[in-house]
Amino acid sequence: MLTNFVIPDLLPAAPELFILAMACVILIVDLFVKSKARTLTFALTQLTLVGCAAITYMTSTGEITYTFSNMFVDDLMADLLKLFLDLTVIVVLFYARGYIAERVSMAKGEFYVLVLLATLGMMVMISANHLLTLYLGLEMMSLSVYAMVALNRDSTQATEAAMKYFVLGALASGLLLYGISMVYGATGTLEITQVAQALAQGAVNKTILVFGLVFLVAGIAFKLGVVPFHMWIPDVYHGAPTPVTLFIASAPKLAAFAMVIRLLVNGLFFLAPDWQQMLMILAVLSMAIGNLAAIAQTNIKRMLAYSAISHMGFMLLGMVSGVVGGDARFALNAYSSSMFYMVAYVITSVAGFGMILLLARAGFEADSLDDFKGLNKRSPWFASMMMVVMLSMAGIPFFVGFFAKFAVLQAVVAAGYMWLAIAAVLFSLIGAFYYLRVVKLMYFDAPLDETPIAAGFDTKLLLSANGLAVALLGLFPQTLMYLCAVALVRSL
Amino acid sequence: MLENYFPILLFILVGIAIGVLPIVLGWLIAPNRPDAEKLSPYECGFEAFEDARMKFDVRYYLIAILFILFDLEIAFLFPWATIFKEIVNTEAVKWFGFAEMMVFIAILVVGYIYAWVKGALEWE
Amino acid sequence: MMDMLQQFIQGVFGPAWPVVWNLLKIVAVVAPLLLGVAYLTYFERKVIAYMHVRIGPNRVGPLGLIQPIADGLKLLLKEIIVPSGADKWVYLIAPGLAIAPALAAWAVVPFADGLGVANIDASLLYIMAIASMGVYGIILAGWASNSKYAFLGAMRSAAQMVSYEISMGFALVTVLMVSNSLNLTEIVRAQDHGIFAGMGLTFLSWNWLPLLPMFIVYLVSGVAETNRAPFDVVEGESEIVAGHMVEYSGMAFALFFLAEYANMILIAALTSLLFLGGWLSPVGFLPDGFFWLAAKMSFVLFLFLWFRATFPRYRFDQIMRLGWKVFIPVSLVWFTVVGVWMMSPLNIWK
Repeated sequence: MLTNFVIPDLLPAAPELFILAMACVILIVDLFVKSKARTLTFALTQLTLVGCAAITYMTSTGEITYTFSNMFVDDLMADLLKLFLDLTVIVVLFYARGYIAERVSMAKGEFYVLVLLATLGMMVMISANHLLTLYLGLEMMSLSVYAMVALNRDSTQATEAAMKYFVLGALASGLLLYGISMVYGATGTLEITQVAQALAQGAVNKTILVFGLVFLVAGIAFKLGVVPFHMWIPDVYHGAPTPVTLFIASAPKLAAFAMVIRLLVNGLFFLAPDWQQMLMILAVLSMAIGNLAAIAQTNIKRMLAYSAISHMGFMLLGMVSGVVGGDARFALNAYSSSMFYMVAYVITSVAGFGMILLLARAGFEADSLDDFKGLNKRSPWFASMMMVVMLSMAGIPFFVGFFAKFAVLQAVVAAGYMWLAIAAVLFSLIGAFYYLRVVKLMYFDAPLDETPIAAGFDTKLLLSANGLAVALLGLFPQTLMYLCAVALVRSL
Repeated sequence: MLENYFPILLFILVGIAIGVLPIVLGWLIAPNRPDAEKLSPYECGFEAFEDARMKFDVRYYLIAILFILFDLEIAFLFPWATIFKEIVNTEAVKWFGFAEMMVFIAILVVGYIYAWVKGALEWE
Repeated sequence: MMDMLQQFIQGVFGPAWPVVWNLLKIVAVVAPLLLGVAYLTYFERKVIAYMHVRIGPNRVGPLGLIQPIADGLKLLLKEIIVPSGADKWVYLIAPGLAIAPALAAWAVVPFADGLGVANIDASLLYIMAIASMGVYGIILAGWASNSKYAFLGAMRSAAQMVSYEISMGFALVTVLMVSNSLNLTEIVRAQDHGIFAGMGLTFLSWNWLPLLPMFIVYLVSGVAETNRAPFDVVEGESEIVAGHMVEYSGMAFALFFLAEYANMILIAALTSLLFLGGWLSPVGFLPDGFFWLAAKMSFVLFLFLWFRATFPRYRFDQIMRLGWKVFIPVSLVWFTVVGVWMMSPLNIWK
């Protein structure tokens, strides 16, 4: 019996194993770090992420490799997404560090460990080739994030947000699991590639499968935060401590994109006409409600939350345009445009929340729109950075957000959904209003608060680089687009 | 295979019967003359104040959560321990089989140390 | 003659025969067990009395031998009080929930090679599962009684029982590692081999010696699991009177009492089977048999009573500290040691 046992190849999972080992080490080391600033914990966490990125890069073969009895897959898309993920988390932690160190009631060391564990969960999600691996990664990420939202124990707002997030998240996980069990019932396997094979052979109960698909899409929609599964987003973004909001608003989006690809494209590609219909509804609703509700917000975290909803809707447009009338030749282009959109959004959103953190200081959150009034007088440089971010989010040429929207719209038009493209442009125009309002506040209003910006040098430098990246990627988007396209071509 | 479990089912039923019959018997044989004083909750002779189902220390929850973690861990150890001799005697998987469980335990120990240092195991 | 008799009886019962036959076997286990429980209480009072240089029960019957029967009859004739504010049904179900698992666990205990009600491969797992049900009876009793003492006692008892269940579990895992089976009969048979067994000194090949720390952990955890002195803070009469059973009277109380002693005997039986070679004879030249198991169980039970007469009661925080901060590390370490030992060339459990 035991002679049949195959010892798995650990190399494809090396980045995950490394991050897990280091998370354990850091958890223990942090117990003996007494300083308020937690410099050692911070440094170790950053080194871990850098090491993880290095291992991901070095072990990347460009081939599709399966391991752990085909439960885990390592391909170019996974490697690329993991590299983006590591980079995002590194930047997030640099921004978050000052805020965490200043707040007394915040559990400090745990923040870093939870970030690492959430990152691990996301990496497992990105590399999942089995519905249970996917679920494992998802839960690992979600549970860490629930705890992170509640890290500021004395804040009722944060606790409430964590509670809401946890209850709704548990519900969504339940929906997802239900969908998974349906897929298992219909195809007799949980392995994503085998699900695809079973579908290709055609001997499956379509009714059960479509029924399960509804639940899967609902679970995905919750994790992406698209309408009508978006209710948690504003509350959680608003209630969570800003560094945690920054984290939730960036890295998990990449993992959620991977989840969409793994489940819907790798697994259920044959049902594309079915899920495209569902995603289309979700996308249009998200763009409408996200953009309209954002106008009414006075809190910038909440505004960015609704903006995130609309962006996720826009990203889904790319997923909708893959297969037209049974013709899958548009698929790669459409999906790579979605991936590009996602990466561009993450870069921009990190900079946006980074700005909020930059203005925050001990005892002051800077999360109201009014706090951005007259930023130009306090710091012309960072006002211009914020402007770049806002213009990019609005999709104004020539920033990276414009090209992201452009690529997706191209895919939509190529798929023949003219009305969808027009709707998307219209909603983007509505969205431009509230982004430009921030610019107006910064440049044309008098500051309410003249305190000089107190962030550390590293944060300022990194935030500048981040803002410049948004601008420069707008000038040279081809490389990133090309990377996304290649990753998807080599992985699907 | 399953018929081996039939005596167990019977035994459980007998156990339940032994749990129920004496109470029924006591109910029938023993006197039953309740009065308000006799039925009041025992509180050293005082009138009972407050509800007895009161708030209790959060540490009981903590113990319960830690227990679930450790008990699950043991549940995972059971099948491994049962075939450990075979693992030792199969050269191909010997070290892998051992190392894997040690890693599993090591992760548990990390959590255990964390709980210890954070004071979750204190009971003042 | 016997064959004919058996055929005749089978003919009478027809297809119901397996049920009848198994019921007979069960009665053959339960009846002596309940008798054992009754006389364990007598034994306990006598032993502790002699340790205190007293005489103990001596009024009812010669040497007080009828005392347990008299106690039982008295309890039967006492009113079962259901306190006001109690959740009546839960209150009455709780004693049943305490005694049923304590008895049902005996279904898989082998009394000699091949002698037992059921011989299943997962017997140890079954015992683990059933024995941990016992805590429900206690916690429901405490909750349903609507009394603060009962409630506190139940909370403490539950916390204590689950805490010690972990170290017990680790002890079981190490026994499994060296036995290669979950079947209790196989676990005993595995103790019949070894260097010392080859020399005729079987008792040195039993699990207690190579797994000595685990043996101690298991034994002490067993005492704590059954809420016995010195871990009887849950029913410490000077503090929270009788704990979860403070409101119980008559037969309902008797059932809790029975459950506690049945659990003690179960722990004694398991300790004997897992660590003390079960029915195996300690030396090569004497035959194996049930009486060895009985002798070993009596020895372990005597230890239970001895502990009670010797040690003062622990405080609750000390109990929790011993469970979480001493036993768990010790069992983790010894678990690893046994693992490494078996991996090394010095492995004695080939």
